[in-house]
Amino acid sequence: MAVVQLKEVKTIEYKRPDIEKGYAGQTLALDISKSSVAIKPVDDKMKKTFIGGKGFDLWLMWHAVKGTTQWHDPENTICIASGPMGGTPGYPGSGKSIVTAISPTTGSVMDSNVGGYFGPYLKFAGFDAMEITGKTAPGAVVLIDGIDQKIQIFDSEGLPEDGYALSAALTEHFGQGKPRTISVVSAGPGAENTLIGCLNFTWYDAKRKIVRYKQAGRGGIGTVFADKGIKAIVARWDTVSMSTNAPADKDTLKKVARLYSREMVELDPKQNEMARVGTTHLVPIMNDFDLLPTNNYRFGSDPRASLIGKDVFQHLFDPGFDGCWMGCTVACSHGVRDFVPFTGPYKGEKVFVDGPEYETIAGCGSNMGIFDPYTILEINFYCDAYGLDTISVGTGIAFVMECFEMGLINETHTDGLLLNFGNRMAALEIVHQMGRGEGFGKIVGQGIRRMKKIFAEQYSADAAIMQDIGMESKGLEFSEYMTKESLAQQGGYGLALKGPQHDEAWLIFLDMVHNFMPTFEQKAEALHWFPMFRTWFGLCGLCKLPWNDIVPEDNKDTMEPAKVMKHVNWYAQYFTSVTGQEAAPDDLISMSEGVYNFQRIFNLKMGFGRREHDAIPYRAVGPVTSEEYESRRERYDGQLSEKHGVDIKGKSTVEKVAVLRKIREDQYEKLKTAVYERRGWTRDGIPTVATARRLGIDFPEVLAVLKANGVEV
Amino acid sequence: MITVDGHDYDWWKGMTVAALLTQIDNSGYCAVVRLNDRYVSRPNFETTLIPDHAEIFLLPMIAGG
Repeated sequence: MAVVQLKEVKTIEYKRPDIEKGYAGQTLALDISKSSVAIKPVDDKMKKTFIGGKGFDLWLMWHAVKGTTQWHDPENTICIASGPMGGTPGYPGSGKSIVTAISPTTGSVMDSNVGGYFGPYLKFAGFDAMEITGKTAPGAVVLIDGIDQKIQIFDSEGLPEDGYALSAALTEHFGQGKPRTISVVSAGPGAENTLIGCLNFTWYDAKRKIVRYKQAGRGGIGTVFADKGIKAIVARWDTVSMSTNAPADKDTLKKVARLYSREMVELDPKQNEMARVGTTHLVPIMNDFDLLPTNNYRFGSDPRASLIGKDVFQHLFDPGFDGCWMGCTVACSHGVRDFVPFTGPYKGEKVFVDGPEYETIAGCGSNMGIFDPYTILEINFYCDAYGLDTISVGTGIAFVMECFEMGLINETHTDGLLLNFGNRMAALEIVHQMGRGEGFGKIVGQGIRRMKKIFAEQYSADAAIMQDIGMESKGLEFSEYMTKESLAQQGGYGLALKGPQHDEAWLIFLDMVHNFMPTFEQKAEALHWFPMFRTWFGLCGLCKLPWNDIVPEDNKDTMEPAKVMKHVNWYAQYFTSVTGQEAAPDDLISMSEGVYNFQRIFNLKMGFGRREHDAIPYRAVGPVTSEEYESRRERYDGQLSEKHGVDIKGKSTVEKVAVLRKIREDQYEKLKTAVYERRGWTRDGIPTVATARRLGIDFPEVLAVLKANGVEV
Repeated sequence: MITVDGHDYDWWKGMTVAALLTQIDNSGYCAVVRLNDRYVSRPNFETTLIPDHAEIFLLPMIAGG
């Protein structure tokens, strides 16, 4: 274990408030440039309009950044929050933190939700949210000590670089023999050397006696963290019980928590077995339905997929409780014990790998043409240790591999690396180069949007084809689902506020497999309700998995099975029992709508948030190449002739690709229009003044942003 | 004999997942089943034979990440 040498820069003592109905009633503002701390009150208007979690983050950020703020400016602000229900033990999935900042890759608002103990410990220490501004010399460590009621800022020397060893060292140092009282947020060298850095949030695994990790992965917030010179932020808190949140109605809370927990325990073994296999069950299922991204989203299946799915990982995962929050009965955060990396700084040592989950398997496996579970484990491990987002790493390297195979780039650009699909050693080398900030990996670490520019300007690569195959939108790399055959999921990705991440709307199965939304209006309705309800989890400090990954046995017989209304009703009761505010299911949607529209207008403030910014690459919509078309010719020929009435006789594949493209791109634009209308937005995708007023977000500065963008009463 | 979600069903030689689902009310939602610890998806329902004494669970709609 590394020796921790910390030099105290400043200590601020504070009086910890009592938690009341899920709220601490104040937020913490840390300016790391000045080592100064301010404590701000949370008023009723803030609670009513923004609820907590991501809502609080966005409200704090709105006041901290200007429309011209760049990601590396000192005023860029990282916000971290839990939510009113965050930190409730025993109600599955109640330990999430939500992190926001201006993203290095999108230039706009990024949000990422993550497990681990930090958010709840921050709240119990007295802060519903924290905001971090400024920059300092590298190495700052911040302690928020809720037990001793002090905030300390340290300079550090000699701490480990990587997140894996750093968090373990700080947990031991600050834990004072009680490691479970500590949660650490850190990045790593890869976050410093790329634009796709993640944050590791820890929780202590008391049974295995090791520090475990979850990642706030998307959009490079880890890079912002490293750029600020912060090594780690540590929260310290004591024991947690159902009373710690001081719920308004503890009896009802206990009752609904017990019902929900029992359902998870009874039904998960009969359904997806997430407590045993995590999300690895999705690999074979996605593969069967042609939805598993393979070779940079060219294809949706591969005969080798069974080598990297549940059948393999259920034997590799270390058995035991894997809940990233206390008492969560979904407990899906599995890991592999005693894995021995075959490359890099940990080569030959035994390590514990936290993961992989489905996204990492698909991103760092099938999408790169890699079907070796041990390589996926190794990429997973090093991405965490270096502080890199596995989704952006996977999608980014997949893009590079296709560029290499197409001849858009060659060995002279890649420093001799043969970046063909399936070259696992080359993929691993890129990851290590990202960690070190060297070689071609440093370019890959800039993200796809910047790579497209570099390849076109410096390597004379064809910009048009890269636009089609570079799987990014708004500057964020796509997560790992094939959307070609689901228009609703194209909207789920393209219309997502931060960029193409599935946490807003995962409609691919409902749309493509179940055909629940055949019309544009039905798709638009789904692209209203689902993003709103999923947003609500991020306002409250909750995980969405228990909502619809384990469902009641009679759910199929209900009016709207996709919404799992029995669980939605329980969530409404949960909210009421903690906060004391009466809430029905529809109220949960209303809560989210205000924050959702505020974030859209925040994008506008940053120079984004219009129709043009909801564009997606054609690879997400349909077959770019003749090879893709020919691989599913029966499907595409059938659609052209039967669904769209196109006479395909005598047409070449290239011609058919072009006709299909025109049809599908038109459909996507029509979908955008329908969704904007349903959401109360203009045809350019901007919330109207009436919408802002209806949702109570018609603050003068919000109306000023709308007016500056041509939207007035 | 096989069990489906804990209930007994008669088994016959040559029984496929698709044939089984025709016997179960309101099973149209079912796109994936778990057959003795193995996932079988709808595209393979017609061709997947069920062995005697199989334990089957009809999985709910897959909800994703």
